[in-house]
Amino acid sequence: MKVLELFNVHKVYNTTHVEVHAVNDVCLEFEEGEFAAIVGPSGSGKTTLLNMIGGLDMPTEGRILVNSTDLSTLKSSAIIDFRMRNIGFVFQSYNLIPVLTAKENIEFIMNLQKWPRKKRDKRTMELLKAVGLEDRVDSRPAQLSGGQQQRVAVARALASKPRFVLADEPTANLDTKSTENLLDIMEKLNREENITFIFSTHDARVVKKARRVITLEDGKVVSDEIRE
Amino acid sequence: MKNYKMAWRNLWRNKRRTVITASSVFFAVFFALVMRSLQLGTYDSMYKNIIESYSGYIQVQDEDFWENKIVDNVFKNSEELREKITADRNVEDVIPRFESFALASSGSRSKGVMVMGIDPEKEKLLSDVEDKLVKYRLTDEAISAIKSEEIPAYLEKNMDLFHGNSYSSDGRLQIELGIKENDEEYLMPLFEKYASVKNGYFSMGDNAALVGDRLARYLGLERGDTIILVGQAYHGHTAAGKYVIKGIVKIPNPDIENKIVYLPVDVCQTLYYADGMLTSMVVHLMDDDDDAINNTLKRLDSNIESPYRILGWKEMNETLVQQLDADNKSGIIMIGILYLVIAFGVFGTVLMMTAERRREFGVLIAIGMQKTKMAGVMVYEMLYIGLLGILAGVAIALPSIIYGYHHPIHFPSKFAKIWEEYGFEPVMAFQWIDKYFLSQSLVVAIIVLVAVIYPVVKIRNLKEVNAIKA
Repeated sequence: MKVLELFNVHKVYNTTHVEVHAVNDVCLEFEEGEFAAIVGPSGSGKTTLLNMIGGLDMPTEGRILVNSTDLSTLKSSAIIDFRMRNIGFVFQSYNLIPVLTAKENIEFIMNLQKWPRKKRDKRTMELLKAVGLEDRVDSRPAQLSGGQQQRVAVARALASKPRFVLADEPTANLDTKSTENLLDIMEKLNREENITFIFSTHDARVVKKARRVITLEDGKVVSDEIRE
Repeated sequence: MKNYKMAWRNLWRNKRRTVITASSVFFAVFFALVMRSLQLGTYDSMYKNIIESYSGYIQVQDEDFWENKIVDNVFKNSEELREKITADRNVEDVIPRFESFALASSGSRSKGVMVMGIDPEKEKLLSDVEDKLVKYRLTDEAISAIKSEEIPAYLEKNMDLFHGNSYSSDGRLQIELGIKENDEEYLMPLFEKYASVKNGYFSMGDNAALVGDRLARYLGLERGDTIILVGQAYHGHTAAGKYVIKGIVKIPNPDIENKIVYLPVDVCQTLYYADGMLTSMVVHLMDDDDDAINNTLKRLDSNIESPYRILGWKEMNETLVQQLDADNKSGIIMIGILYLVIAFGVFGTVLMMTAERRREFGVLIAIGMQKTKMAGVMVYEMLYIGLLGILAGVAIALPSIIYGYHHPIHFPSKFAKIWEEYGFEPVMAFQWIDKYFLSQSLVVAIIVLVAVIYPVVKIRNLKEVNAIKA
């Protein structure tokens, strides 16, 4: 089942003197349960593409369908609502809410979706256990290491069972051990919950784990390799 | 997590900033309340002095008397009129007055004075002249005698400063001379021994006068001396009389003290050839609240017709009212400037809070938090800061004002003299908790709420993709 379709997507930035084609005529499709990495050198358009997929930015041309919904047809508040229900985000620098505990950070989206307390607690504990942080329930981000924070961020992204998770350079700030650990967790959750993961990355360790690798160069897809 | 809970936690992310901002709100509220209370209280005290020592709240006069204060514009002290006035539900009694001008002389000195004929007993309801009789006077002899005793150095200095002054109460003397509480027991008997003045009061029919302290000093009069009054009497007669001074009075209003001569009202009527006539009836009220006064004024105005005129205290003291009104406006401008400074402080904090959390706003919107909810959190944060500051300001201002209300500020000796020279009683009183308490707090709350418009607009226009990169 297709969760994401990109049709001739372009993104052009108008700088003072020249037009920059950050994404140039990209056509892609993602199935449910994929574990895909978008790779490419700096400036190749990975983050721009991810931002458009996540509805944070809109294409200059082309269409993006998430679960058959064209995000460009939605109003700003509807896009936010759509993101909350369908897309999970993992950022390079974790971006947890500093005043909330690990548990509260994970619960945050479920709270926004008004899940009942029991259901919320069950799901939170499930995820904390899955990311190996069941003993850090009440720790605030400042009390966690970078790796632990990123694991909480992954749990937060998965909390409300989105259609897919977008992770922008999720391992860029992590050491080798934390990276291995995080990738194992994400892969496990991908398999167990059948949630699509799409990464943008430079990291060879992430690429190694990915079952699909899309390579971008100058905003264009130059290869799309599916591994088994 | 509910907005209010999240906002509360956000508040303590930067404790120092929150404390500083809440403190600025606190100081604004505190100073605004205390300044306002002091200003309004001092006005009240000035009004009270003039009302209680002279005008009263309401007077009934002949319709022409106010514009032309001659003894021909008098009216008959009739029972019918008295009954009409006392029939009003807020009127307790009517105090008769006969007021005119005369030339007072003693020895080679003379001065134009205000002669006030009063009912010695009824007047106790309003100006209570008996209570204002001078009790102590710092004459040269009294000062030398006290100095010959063992007294503290500060008292010697202060007695020189207030040389010649009179006091109608122990408290006033102690405050003005700065007598310390510990010294009271030892020093007061010395004043009693060397500086006390024996004054007496008069009754109806007594051919006696009470004279304002400043006037007495100008004319060089003491108790037992005679004052001669000459003026124009009713229907062209000449008013002339001499009266034994039974007492010297200290009036809280220095201007009045400088020109007042009290006579029993019947003696005053005889002086002016106007037996049975009055220049005014002062209406003594049960409730002297502003609204009650205005309502009584309206009722009396509609019940009592020509040839009488009903005057309220504001009309009778127009100059003072205008003077204090102008001063009040300058006070409001000062508070306005204080608010402006605080508003910039609060806005600075809001600006920083918004700028440093731009990325966080972007992330939260990216993961699904609606902008309205986010703005709600910011509104709560500013409300908390405002509430913390306002409540703390009110909590500290409240006991200060209550204390100040019961213990008015008496100017230190040196300043008291200057203040008195300008014609004001050297006292700064606080006003009891009133509407100003709510209005000042409300203004600060509005400043805080206006400041929150900035982050709300910023959040509304936020582009999450740019904010995340911040």
